[in-house]
Amino acid sequence: MDLAVFGPYIATILAYFIIFNILTWGLNIQFGYAGIPNFTYITFMAMGAYVTGATGLPRPTAGFQYVQYILGYSWPFPITLLAGAVGAGALAFLLGLITLRRLRTDYLAIVTFSLGFILYDVVGTFVPLFNGFDGLFGVPQPLADVFQLDPNTYPYFFIPLSLVIMLICWLVANRIFDSPLGRTMRAIREDVEVAEALGKDSFRFRIIALIVGCVFAGVAGGLTIEFVTAFNPSGWTAPETFVIFAACLVGGKANNRGAVLGAFLVPVIFFEGSRFIPVPPDHPLLLAGIRYMVIGTLLIGVLWFRPEGLLPEKKKAFFEIALKKPTLPVVQAPDAL
Amino acid sequence: MLHSLVLAFGFGLITASVLALAGVGVTLQFGVTNYVNFAYGAYLALSAFLAWTLNVVVGLDFWVAVAISTLVIAVCAVVVNRVLLQPFARRKLPTVYMLIVTLGLWLILSNVVLVLWGASQRHFSVAGQHPVEIGPFLFTPSQLLIIAVAVVCLVGVHLLLTQTKLGKAMRAMSDDSGLAAVSGIDTDRVVDATWFLTGALIGLSGCVLALNLSSFLPTFGDDFLFVIFSAVILGGIGHPYGTMIGALIVGLATEMSAVLIQSSYKSDVAFALLIIMLLVRPRGLIPSRAK
Repeated sequence: MDLAVFGPYIATILAYFIIFNILTWGLNIQFGYAGIPNFTYITFMAMGAYVTGATGLPRPTAGFQYVQYILGYSWPFPITLLAGAVGAGALAFLLGLITLRRLRTDYLAIVTFSLGFILYDVVGTFVPLFNGFDGLFGVPQPLADVFQLDPNTYPYFFIPLSLVIMLICWLVANRIFDSPLGRTMRAIREDVEVAEALGKDSFRFRIIALIVGCVFAGVAGGLTIEFVTAFNPSGWTAPETFVIFAACLVGGKANNRGAVLGAFLVPVIFFEGSRFIPVPPDHPLLLAGIRYMVIGTLLIGVLWFRPEGLLPEKKKAFFEIALKKPTLPVVQAPDAL
Repeated sequence: MLHSLVLAFGFGLITASVLALAGVGVTLQFGVTNYVNFAYGAYLALSAFLAWTLNVVVGLDFWVAVAISTLVIAVCAVVVNRVLLQPFARRKLPTVYMLIVTLGLWLILSNVVLVLWGASQRHFSVAGQHPVEIGPFLFTPSQLLIIAVAVVCLVGVHLLLTQTKLGKAMRAMSDDSGLAAVSGIDTDRVVDATWFLTGALIGLSGCVLALNLSSFLPTFGDDFLFVIFSAVILGGIGHPYGTMIGALIVGLATEMSAVLIQSSYKSDVAFALLIIMLLVRPRGLIPSRAK
């Protein structure tokens, strides 16, 4: 056990776990609390990553490794992450404006699913936006220059930093769950008509859930690009969304502790843990293919055997208002005439 | 410019034929079972790659390979319904769970295709690819055959829906499956028949789409799926005749826009149409009463 070798490895696993946690909580707010089927959740993570990266990088210069991207403001660390979060939130706002006004679940699912493919295509082929399929790289790591950290010691700084951000996200997610806002979201999830009859504007609450969830995704994306220093379309293919859905459903939707369990069990074990499984050199696609098949089977299996997840949603217990007992005398049927 | 627009109109007709085949299948299944199946992208790919193996590896004639592949996909669709989808549908879970089940199925099937056939470009070996001039248009014989096959199949679907007991039962279930069940319709059998028909239409359109693309990757079905969804929603989901019109509009719009803007964005045009449609007329060109 050499600490110099295992230290960074464990730190990397830990960083991914923190990022997946934030991602799963964000999806939990949208899907678990408010019941919005956002089947392109990963796109918002990518949006956060791209905006964080592009605002942190300096303006692109023509030269040996010519990369093209918009923004390029060389902003310092916390502002880039905030910009990423705002970028993801803004995209969510647009999506919400189009879809949440009156679309049924299946239409909403079709639009989000399609949007993911479209944006993936556009980002990949329209190079001036975020450098196409090559993506962004060389993104400055947060405060690495200030504290003069080298790549070997950097994870030890990044972990506490992202833990603080994760803690903030945890508090926000739980605060929303317990607040009237979260209660209304869950009421709308259970029955839109009843919630509307009680005067709740379902559009407003659903768009808030969508935006907050996508801001979480944006923060997770921003942390990803700052930790890895690079990001390209291979990091946000359409199936990735369902890894997060699997985490959310396995753990137990609308339960943030469950989401932590899911974020630990699903992505970390299946993806990051299996990184070191030897792949037969003649079939490099096999491992990736099997991983997604496992995720697909997991989604179907959990919905069949335990749709409420490992840690089910905690239903709020309210004291019951005692209804007035019926005072009418009970009429006994005559035994015989 | 005008000449290339006219040519693009011709290509649009072919795309519309493929779209109509797949779209009618999708919309029939949605009408009868009342949930969207997101696994169609994988069905399309599976069908095309199966036909490719029969055509290129085994050496069968292209259209024989297509017929076998179509039949296999139709049977697969029924089996998947019996084993996976129908048991879930019986539980009457919220719609979103049903959608996630089909997405799980999509993950499994699309990766089966990827693992079995690899990620390289494939193309069919078909004779007679020399374009012939017909009026102002330019078609290859196989493209003409695509249009003919589509027309024959769609007329067949029309006759099935209007002239047969099964078609009437399907329309009845599409309107109200509960009412259909109490009127003595064997709903399980109708659902099976619908999946068979939809599987056949999807299987066929997967093969002809791959032929029309000239070379195809395992992911081509996913990229085409939202174009199909655009056509389906444009026509009013659950409405086969509306879908045919929707397919014509989307097919012509995507191909003709490729002349005016960069052709790599042509499927984005389909998505733009979908968004505009959802904003302006969310129930489709021909709104159906029940859905």
